[in-house]
Amino acid sequence: MRVSTSSAVEREPSPTTAAEPTNVLIVGVGGQGVITVSKVLAQLCLQNKLKVKQSEIHGMAKRGGAVFSHVRFGREVYSPTIPLGQADILLALEWAEGLRWLPYLNPETGTFISDTQQIIPPFSCRNRKRGATSNYVFRSVEQVKQHVPNSYAVDATGMAEGLGNPRAANTVLLGMLSTALDFSVDDWQAIIAQSVPPKTVEVNRQAFLLGREWIQSDAHKEEREQVEVAKPPPAPVVDDVVIDLEITEAWCKGCDICVKMCPERCLALNSSEIVELANPDACTACRLCEWLCPDFAIAVHVHKKETAIA
Amino acid sequence: MCIKKRPLSHSIGELDYDPTHLNLEVYFLPPAISADFNRNRLSVQGNHACALAAVAAGCRFYAGYPITPSSEVAEKMSEELPKVGGIFVQMEDEIASMGAVVGASMGGVKALTATSGPGFSLKQENLGYASMTETPCVIVNVMRGGPSTGMPTRPSQADVMQARWGSHGDHPIIVLTPASVDEIYMETVRAFNLSELLRVPVVLLYDEVIGHLIETIEIREPAELKLLERKWTRAPPEEYLPFAATDDGVPEMARPGDGYRTHTTGLTHGENGFPTQDPEEVDRVMRRLLSKLDRNRTIVESFELLECGDADIVIVAYGITSRAARRAVKLGREHGIKVGLFRPITLWPFPQQPFAEVAALARKVLVPEMNAGQLCLEIERLCSPPSKVSRMNRIDGEAITPIEILERVKALESND
Amino acid sequence: MTEASMHTFEIRDYLRQELMPHFMCPGCGHGIALRALLWAIYELDIDKDRLAIVSGIGCSGRVGAYIDANTMHVTHGRPLAYATGLKLARPDLEVIVITGDGDCLAIGGNHLIHACRRNLNFTCLMLNNEVYGMTGGQVSPTTTVDRFTTTTPLGNHEPGFDSCKLAAAAGAGLVGREITLQVPALKNLIKEGINHPGFAFLEIISDCTEIYGRKNQLGESPEMMLSQKASTRSDVYRNTVDQPFRPNAFETGVLARNDRAEYADNYRKHVEKTMDVLKSGD
Ligand SMILES: Cc1ncc(C[n+]2csc(CCOP(=O)(O)OP(=O)(O)O)c2C)c(N)n1
Ligand code: SF4
Ligand code: SF4
Repeated sequence: MRVSTSSAVEREPSPTTAAEPTNVLIVGVGGQGVITVSKVLAQLCLQNKLKVKQSEIHGMAKRGGAVFSHVRFGREVYSPTIPLGQADILLALEWAEGLRWLPYLNPETGTFISDTQQIIPPFSCRNRKRGATSNYVFRSVEQVKQHVPNSYAVDATGMAEGLGNPRAANTVLLGMLSTALDFSVDDWQAIIAQSVPPKTVEVNRQAFLLGREWIQSDAHKEEREQVEVAKPPPAPVVDDVVIDLEITEAWCKGCDICVKMCPERCLALNSSEIVELANPDACTACRLCEWLCPDFAIAVHVHKKETAIA
Repeated sequence: MCIKKRPLSHSIGELDYDPTHLNLEVYFLPPAISADFNRNRLSVQGNHACALAAVAAGCRFYAGYPITPSSEVAEKMSEELPKVGGIFVQMEDEIASMGAVVGASMGGVKALTATSGPGFSLKQENLGYASMTETPCVIVNVMRGGPSTGMPTRPSQADVMQARWGSHGDHPIIVLTPASVDEIYMETVRAFNLSELLRVPVVLLYDEVIGHLIETIEIREPAELKLLERKWTRAPPEEYLPFAATDDGVPEMARPGDGYRTHTTGLTHGENGFPTQDPEEVDRVMRRLLSKLDRNRTIVESFELLECGDADIVIVAYGITSRAARRAVKLGREHGIKVGLFRPITLWPFPQQPFAEVAALARKVLVPEMNAGQLCLEIERLCSPPSKVSRMNRIDGEAITPIEILERVKALESND
Repeated sequence: MTEASMHTFEIRDYLRQELMPHFMCPGCGHGIALRALLWAIYELDIDKDRLAIVSGIGCSGRVGAYIDANTMHVTHGRPLAYATGLKLARPDLEVIVITGDGDCLAIGGNHLIHACRRNLNFTCLMLNNEVYGMTGGQVSPTTTVDRFTTTTPLGNHEPGFDSCKLAAAAGAGLVGREITLQVPALKNLIKEGINHPGFAFLEIISDCTEIYGRKNQLGESPEMMLSQKASTRSDVYRNTVDQPFRPNAFETGVLARNDRAEYADNYRKHVEKTMDVLKSGD
């Protein structure tokens, strides 16, 4: 991110931003560029002589973790964070993250702009069993519209791909965001040009315009209405296998490793200090007990159902 | 040379199998250098003769650590082995050398190491391992003055007992003491043969003088060396027991990679090779291990008799001292003294029965040694009464001369 | 998932089952290390007939006997020397040494540095449990300072070794470390070691629960294993920010690679070259 030195033209703040602070919530997952997007907006505000506060969380900065950024700007801004239900614009780079932050959006006046792309994190699994369903939040575009009329679901990544560079997806989204804010297109483009790698200035310029047009122009009306969010992939078939935990009692020395290490707590030592499968239903066949048994007393067999012993 | 070959029918010990299928002649005494001057002869140092013989005997691995006065064995091996596709490696110490030699032999390759006093001490633990696991290997100890660093460049014969009992515990071991360069050549070949045949480590024990002596040797044709290979098993893997007794008490060996997947351990092990502490089993397997040499004495024992038939005084001498003794016998006979020489070539197990027979006829036995008195202990044990044994010792790093021996012989003669 | 991929590694195929259960104490990490080794052997599809395991003396050394292969249980501290002889004599064998911290670093330390220096193609697994387990729990060259052993009743006052740094400095072809808790990672590390065309030194952090753990109140095996995890730092975190805050953490993973000529290969080439010179001299 390049920080522009203030050679910007001196200008009166725009009327809309003059009153109460404007609240923009930008959300996504680690690696998507939430922070970069919010920095562009903050920079723009600064150039327009507005006070701006940006507060972000990127503790889960590794890929897949949730990241959000509160951007508040206006003549005067006190609190750095947006209270529940007070966001004017919620810009989501990922669908489920958009849904997660929906309560922060002002349901009457707020604008919801979200990429329809879904990044399903591994930890959305409800449990470690084979075929377990995912915890990934799902709601259709229709459902969201019922909550926030002013909603746009958009395949920004697809649009950027159409321009030849999927990495310009965030600029497409900025173009859409720009329709809800009172900054001039030139200012936007200037800041974006400073923030992206020099070679991609042109494609980002186009991406911005494409995003802006997509919301403003009637030519895209039909498209806007047709956007669908894919349902998360169906859960794999749950019961195609039988897990068979073979315990060689003569080899077990009751060291307790498997009992303590089993993530599902399925194992226990019986009265003669030999391991037994106390909770077979919970077993996920993760094999941890097999691997960690120093005496090779446990073998985890996974049979296909047809071949399993009745 | 008056060399008496030991008859096969010798009635000592119990030989509970028929050894005649082995061509045994080679095991008794090396054929002397033939008179045929057309044969391939070389004038070499004792240590070099040892290396040349080892390669001729099929040795293809040498690991060692330099030490005077044995280093020439290593030097020659480093030159000769690459020519025949063998491996020479100078290890970090004698312990490692002995380990590597046993390791190579466990892989099925004939292996040699050479050292002297201090290094021989370091080799003892792994030597015991070879003995316990019945892994063939040949160890050269060129004796120098001791104890400790002693006199590196001076000869000695003070490792006689260490060669036998240097490693802890009861264990079988063969010790050969050649007395000439050509004998080093032939005894080295024999060392490999015995080691392979009986699966026992064999120590080639000679002193600094013989090691550095330059004499003529005859390079024998490979066929003349009558090389022996280890008894590799052909049993089906399911039935094979790596330490099961056979007719001659020597178990058949399995080569790694041939599908037997055996376990070898220095722990006391049963016939299957796995550790055991069962008293009955331990007794059985240890007795078998320790009886190997007794049962095969006729093959192992080798000695030379010189003028012993009517000898009143028998000199027992080995190595360089035996050469002085030989001269003393000649001089003594010239003086009309009935003196003879019993020269053990196999030092351990000591050829006790043949010696006992000779000693029984003699009034006096003289044991000249370049130590404070080691082999004489065994000789006293075998003579009755033990008091007829006289010791003669030099521990000053000087060889014993024929005249010195002759003086003692004369003194013994006139004593009664 | 096909039936074949479901039916994976069966440890029994690689064990001398008639000797089981093995002699090790309940919860001893050496058993887990053995599993990882056998798993690696399975995945590398090494023929058991061609596999030679050379082990020293100690609980670690006894591990080898349970492997259905050519196993050689040699003298204390010397397995690297035996393995050197065996591998040189029989390059066709896959030679793997199993040794302990006392076996490898104390009595066998000299052999270790020279094995590293020579870079002969075999693999050394050193099971480090910080103690002499077999002899009843005496101090070892890797015992943590202040820990109690039967010969340090007042707590250990001697500093220990970082054996991996030692091996790397001595020139080992590949150096790595892993804890037993990370069985698949350990298996992969062992595979990497075996595959490396040179000497591979792998330190496996094991635990002696019965003696060392009890004496130092380190908890049962699971606690010991978890604390090992806490005191190590995987190489996947290399160059990340927590490094300065964990100066005492042992790194795990592949720690060094020395791209050097393999000993036997080099020996053969050298001999060929010089023999040619000899011949052309005639
Ligand atoms: C030459 C020799 N010295 C001492 C011993 C006794 N000894 C047997 S095992 C052992 C220590 C082994 O410790 P380590 O290598 O750490 O293996 P662990 O038992 O802890 O796995 C010792 C000192 C021996 N067998 N041989
Ligand atoms: S495989 Fe073992 S460790 Fe994993 S859940 Fe089942 S019982 Fe627990
Ligand atoms: S004494 Fe320690 S190292 Fe040895 S088997 Fe028991 S727990 Fe393992």
